Amino acid sequence: MIARLACGLRPVRRMPSPLVLLALWTLLAAAVIGLAALIFGTRAGLDRPMTGFERMHSLAALLTALLAGLAAFELSLPDRDRRWAWLPLPAIGLWLGTMGVGCVGELVRVGLDGIRFHVSWPCLQFIIGMGLPMAGLMLWLTRHAAWIRPGPVAAFSALSAAAFASIGLTLVHPTFGPLMVLAWHGVAVLAVTGLAALFGPRLAWRVPA
Amino acid sequence: MSHAQPLCLMLAPGQVARDARDLRWSALMAAAQEGDGAAYATLLAECLPLLRAICRARLRDATEAEDAVQDTLLTLHRVRHTYDPARPFRPWVAALAERRALDRARRRGRQVARETLLDDAAELGAEGEAEERLAARQLREAVGGLPASQRTALQLTKIEQLSLQEASARSGMSIGALKVATHRALHSLRRRLTGGAP
Repeated sequence: MIARLACGLRPVRRMPSPLVLLALWTLLAAAVIGLAALIFGTRAGLDRPMTGFERMHSLAALLTALLAGLAAFELSLPDRDRRWAWLPLPAIGLWLGTMGVGCVGELVRVGLDGIRFHVSWPCLQFIIGMGLPMAGLMLWLTRHAAWIRPGPVAAFSALSAAAFASIGLTLVHPTFGPLMVLAWHGVAVLAVTGLAALFGPRLAWRVPA
Repeated sequence: MSHAQPLCLMLAPGQVARDARDLRWSALMAAAQEGDGAAYATLLAECLPLLRAICRARLRDATEAEDAVQDTLLTLHRVRHTYDPARPFRPWVAALAERRALDRARRRGRQVARETLLDDAAELGAEGEAEERLAARQLREAVGGLPASQRTALQLTKIEQLSLQEASARSGMSIGALKVATHRALHSLRRRLTGGAP
């Protein structure tokens, strides 16, 4: 087998470091978000200064996107410590926390009677519609992980993509109002992450390294 | 007072050798990434004992371990662009071998868990000596005398050693039906081959 592998060996381009890949991924994500904002138009009131809560929520989403992306790139390499998986957890906690606080705040403001369950389809469609192609892009960037740690890398890749999509959503769709929108926001992110964790490894195996 | 010494003097002899070897492997891998087939062949040949040691430590079965070594070589080939020559080579290649050996061990574990009839198979194996005394023709006849569904189930799950899912996909039988058919086939064969009721 060694002779077969070595025979006619082609040169390969060395993979950039995880930090360089993260920068590339951030640029690509920013381009996709910019394109979505151009197509759908930005939401009304975007020029209004953000409240403390909104700032915290956006910052947590951005941190989640960046740290989950970095964790995915690090974990996709064979010799990197598996503890990189812990890196995005505080940001994820903060992000989910701000969603929870938003929900509780809403509950306190309108009371239980004011809450009506409804599915926020535009929100869901936007995050899944943008999150899945972005997750696909991330899976392509980390496709070599198919032979290393496919599950965790696919999950963190999708989480990073969904977090970027969620940031995109705040530019296009008014998100900080109704509780249900916030809740669906979380559901959509979990859906994208879960789908990628489940099916990402299977897709990745079909992609040549 | 300062006792500054060259780094190599402070290391155990084995450690010095490993570091020198690691540097050599790093250089060979960097050359392989540039397309140097000879360096690549040398590197893989030199790595082989390490890969074997890792796989054998994880897998008791020698054939499984050797398969895991082959898997590791293929993986190494596929992801060779991910190696950074600025980093040590040994942890990189060792992680690949650990991964492939673990995959094999898990797959083997799942296979064993899936085959709930292993006890039956073991019993059949224990009775293997009796089987050996029988002519091959008798065994063929006994298998040939089974109903078609039992024969198919036995062929796929025990002779070809497919997983239940694969056997189900191949035969079109449900997993439950395969289990039942295999169990009945084994039971029936045992009775026939050990001289029980036909």
